[in-house]
Amino acid sequence: MTDRSLKREARIDWLPVFLYLFIVVFGWFNVFAATRPDTDDFIFSMSTNYGRQAMWIGFSLVAALVIMLFDSKFFPAFAYPIYITGILLLAAVLVVGQEVAGSKSWFVITEAIKFQPSEFAKFATALGLAKYMGEKNFSFLSTSRYNRIETANPKSWVFLPLRLIGITSMEGAFALILFLVPAALILLENDTGSTMAFAALFLVFYREGVTGIILVAGIVMAALFLLNVVVDEIYLIIPVSAIGLLGALYLFFRRNIKPGLIVVILTAITVGFIFMSNYILDNLKPHQKTRVEVLMGVKKDLKGAGYNVNQSKIAIGSGGLAGKGFLNGTQTKYRFVPKQYTDFIFSAVGEEWGFLGAGLLIAAYVLLLCRIILRAEKQRSRFSRIYGYSVASILFAHFALNVGMAIGIMPTIGIPLPMVSYGGSSLFSFTILLFVFIKLDSNRNEILW
Amino acid sequence: MNRKADIIRRALLLYVFTGVFALAILARVVYIQFFIGPELRKKTKELTLEYRNVEALRGNIFSSDGNFLAISVPVYELRMDTKANGLKEEKFNNQVDSLAWCLSNLFRDRTKADYKSILTDGRRQANRYLLLRKGVSFSQLQKALKFPLFRDGANGGGIIAVASTERVKPYKNLAARTIGKNDPTGKPFGIEGAFNEELTGKEGVRLMQKLTGGMWKPVDDNYAVEPENGADIYTTLDVTLQDVAHSELYRQLSTHNADHGCVVMMEVQTGEVKAIANLKRTSDGSYIENYNYAVGESVEPGSTFKLASMMALMEDGYVKLTDSVNTGNGQMRFYSQIMKDSHEGGYGWLTMKQVFEKSSNVGVSMKVWEHYKNDPEKFIKRIRQFHLHEPLGLQIPGEGDPRIKNPKDRDWSGTTLPWMSIGYESKLTPLQVLTFYNAVANNGKMVRPIFVKEIRRRGAVVKTFGPEVIEEKIASEKTIAQAREMMEGVVKNGTARNLNGLIYKIGGKTGTAQIAGAGGYKNEGKVTYRATFVGYFPADEPKYSCIVVVSAPSNSVYYGNLVAGPIFKAVADKVYAGALDIHKPYNRNLPLISDTNFPTVKKGFVKDAAFTLNKLNITNEVVGMQSGFSVAKHLNQKFVFEHPRFTTGLLPDVKGMGARDAIFILESLGMKVKVNGKGAVREQTPQAGNRIIKGQTVIIQLG
Repeated sequence: MTDRSLKREARIDWLPVFLYLFIVVFGWFNVFAATRPDTDDFIFSMSTNYGRQAMWIGFSLVAALVIMLFDSKFFPAFAYPIYITGILLLAAVLVVGQEVAGSKSWFVITEAIKFQPSEFAKFATALGLAKYMGEKNFSFLSTSRYNRIETANPKSWVFLPLRLIGITSMEGAFALILFLVPAALILLENDTGSTMAFAALFLVFYREGVTGIILVAGIVMAALFLLNVVVDEIYLIIPVSAIGLLGALYLFFRRNIKPGLIVVILTAITVGFIFMSNYILDNLKPHQKTRVEVLMGVKKDLKGAGYNVNQSKIAIGSGGLAGKGFLNGTQTKYRFVPKQYTDFIFSAVGEEWGFLGAGLLIAAYVLLLCRIILRAEKQRSRFSRIYGYSVASILFAHFALNVGMAIGIMPTIGIPLPMVSYGGSSLFSFTILLFVFIKLDSNRNEILW
Repeated sequence: MNRKADIIRRALLLYVFTGVFALAILARVVYIQFFIGPELRKKTKELTLEYRNVEALRGNIFSSDGNFLAISVPVYELRMDTKANGLKEEKFNNQVDSLAWCLSNLFRDRTKADYKSILTDGRRQANRYLLLRKGVSFSQLQKALKFPLFRDGANGGGIIAVASTERVKPYKNLAARTIGKNDPTGKPFGIEGAFNEELTGKEGVRLMQKLTGGMWKPVDDNYAVEPENGADIYTTLDVTLQDVAHSELYRQLSTHNADHGCVVMMEVQTGEVKAIANLKRTSDGSYIENYNYAVGESVEPGSTFKLASMMALMEDGYVKLTDSVNTGNGQMRFYSQIMKDSHEGGYGWLTMKQVFEKSSNVGVSMKVWEHYKNDPEKFIKRIRQFHLHEPLGLQIPGEGDPRIKNPKDRDWSGTTLPWMSIGYESKLTPLQVLTFYNAVANNGKMVRPIFVKEIRRRGAVVKTFGPEVIEEKIASEKTIAQAREMMEGVVKNGTARNLNGLIYKIGGKTGTAQIAGAGGYKNEGKVTYRATFVGYFPADEPKYSCIVVVSAPSNSVYYGNLVAGPIFKAVADKVYAGALDIHKPYNRNLPLISDTNFPTVKKGFVKDAAFTLNKLNITNEVVGMQSGFSVAKHLNQKFVFEHPRFTTGLLPDVKGMGARDAIFILESLGMKVKVNGKGAVREQTPQAGNRIIKGQTVIIQLG
């Protein structure tokens, strides 16, 4: 009994806390470098961007502390209300939100107080999914004929794709809906960055048993899409069809008729996708198309869409091994990189702290991500585990997209670098996202219901 | 267990996925920083650092009394980036009206509606460099920076101000041609042109760093070469005199509807040009400075040349002022041409002095013909002795070449000599004529006219231009004396009697020349004239010389004395009134203080009174007191200061005191004082000698 009560005591895993603090503080110094006016009569002021960011760091730390004081049971208990609030906010912003840089994703209360519900929705959806998929009997595979998806409509072929990705139970389908509803709302906001970050939650589904086909398919599709920018579709269709048909022929020859048919169908789908991607490319908004073309090196639009990335690369490249030193980066100091203090903050790191600083930041992130996944696997409650995976996926997506964009291996997508980029609501929501997990983890031995 | 293995596989895959991506990022960072890093580093230098020329400030041009004649001021081009990042549609629409109103109100060049349509059209066309107005001054820009939208800066409001410097003449038209211009688009002229090198200074080179918005910021660097700002030019021009010359010339030109004219005034001993005005009629009947006639217009000098002819005759000893000559009926034939005097019927017998005073063409040409017809070379030699044949070599470009014919010249004819002697068949600029007259006023010493006195760099004089002597003595003492006597005679008895004033004397010569146009001296059947007056003042001790030329005045009034003379007189009067050094004190010999005008000294503070009297050299003595209030008594040509006699307990007599002293005394005795009027105390109530009642009010009446 004593042994058990000891185990019940909260034990905070300090490593992610320290990593969080390191990233936030290091981030602030870079925001400071990128927003500090280059004058000698410098005064620290709360009305400046770095001043506000410092204030938000303060708020975030208070929020983290408050979360640690909560009872762990609070989060599963309030998961659905929070999830529904998130959905309502996402719906509301489509109606009353303000358009900022082409995306209708902000509630603007005053110029200084802005709030992006998609930030909150990530947290809300993570909780909602964790709660639903954390139920004891939840499984993607049907366990009886009563919870088979076909029960709803036995003849429908609609469920075929679900089967294909390994969902055969009704609750599995419902979990997918829980994820798709907010995803669709964010997509409607026309905020590409948030949508892509949100899509990363699908990794959680993978962990929980959905087949990897969809990940593989996603990667293949992205690759084909990007290749299509570089070469004419005919050069993609011919090899894809050839390989597919040869494979099918081989399978038929081996009398593996069913797999052979699947290969034929997949090949057809792929070819169809190539045509579709062509259509999508032609119908992308001009700035998005240019960004993709710039990424693939088809276009060198150094004055327009490629300008940011080019400036960012120049800043990072000029940093060298040890960097130019804090506040000594000319590209940072003289604001050559547009949006440097928000989306392109990694370029300030690269310039002023060099390879060592950038490497350190990347290491901190990777360590944080790995630690979260590791701790998630160690959870006794499924709720905590799923939530932990959600946190890791969202952080990973932001990190990968943002840094990838800053160094030119991803198209330019407006997405912040978590806990580093300037922005109060972003910092605040990542803090909550992370510390809820740290809190859950500290009570990992409890069974939460 | 299969399920457990599956989960481990999946988790592992996610680790690998994360790791691979992190490695990809790291690899890319390595590639950027180490492989293409050197090239990118070079690019940052190219992008941000550059050796740039730093423009030197152009020097200013000052008048001799220290006023700015030409100065560089910053001007701005106000533009707008109608698609600035922070300029949202709604914000623009909300504020465009008030911005248009403010712009219209500030510049007053377009209506509010005009500005609004410019702004909205610009926005619709997404013009990122929309021109709103050129030539915006610094103070206007400061105001514009507070306008709606604009107050949000370049990013939030789209304001763009393109700075440049503009050369401004604060006195606009005054001496505009002489001050000149150095415009890259046109030919430089005037002082700006001539002293361009000094004014320009030297461009510096400095390492600069690029800031956002195309701005450059200097960076500390050992290789910087500071720009050397241009030197300041101090001219000889005097703004006051220039103003008088300009406005008088303007007035006379408009009165006579003349085509153009000029005035030059020079200081006799130094050759400093104090004023130079050139005006030309424009199509709308106003006059502007658009050509430096005084310097550049080389024309037939007319009668003013007779001074040279007379001086030649006198130098060679052919005539004396008292010699008589018969000018007959005012006509004389030289070969086929007839020389005429302007006076109908001629002057008959005249002395040589009168010939000059009345400006008799016949008299002068007859004598010159008589003595030089066999050896015209000799006459020309005399003219050359007066340096009338050569350019002056001025500080500013554009001087017209003089033309004095030589007997060997192809266009020398039989009639050249007589007509030359009265100022035709030759060409001189007004300034060349003036320089010659100035030499006569300066006792034969010919000095070169100068416009620029000093070049100063940061206030320190680096170069001075002193009087430059062309010729120590252009003629003998005797000739000069006779010449000046003749010229004073012109004003006293001759053609310029209208200039004869009371206070100071003027010496000079009128000229009324017919202007040779394309069709000879008659232009389209109409004779046009050039009226001149050239001379100096005060005639006894010449201080200034001056020439006035009015070309093509109206046909009814064209004589030099009537058209050019009044301008000369007005300028001379003004100079005379303003120049203390040429005045002889009116009452130089009268004693300052005499018996009859001994001043009165009121009762008051003894030190002040004694100080005042000492300054006026009036003997005074202070008896029995060091300080305090005194009564001054006038005894035997001197003042004696004594204590006023106050009796304790009785009101003192403050009559005759200044109000301050009276109030001080009374209040220090505990009285209240009421003051009426101004001046010294005339009456006091209650009267002196009454008992003092503390707190009682004493009324003092000043007056």
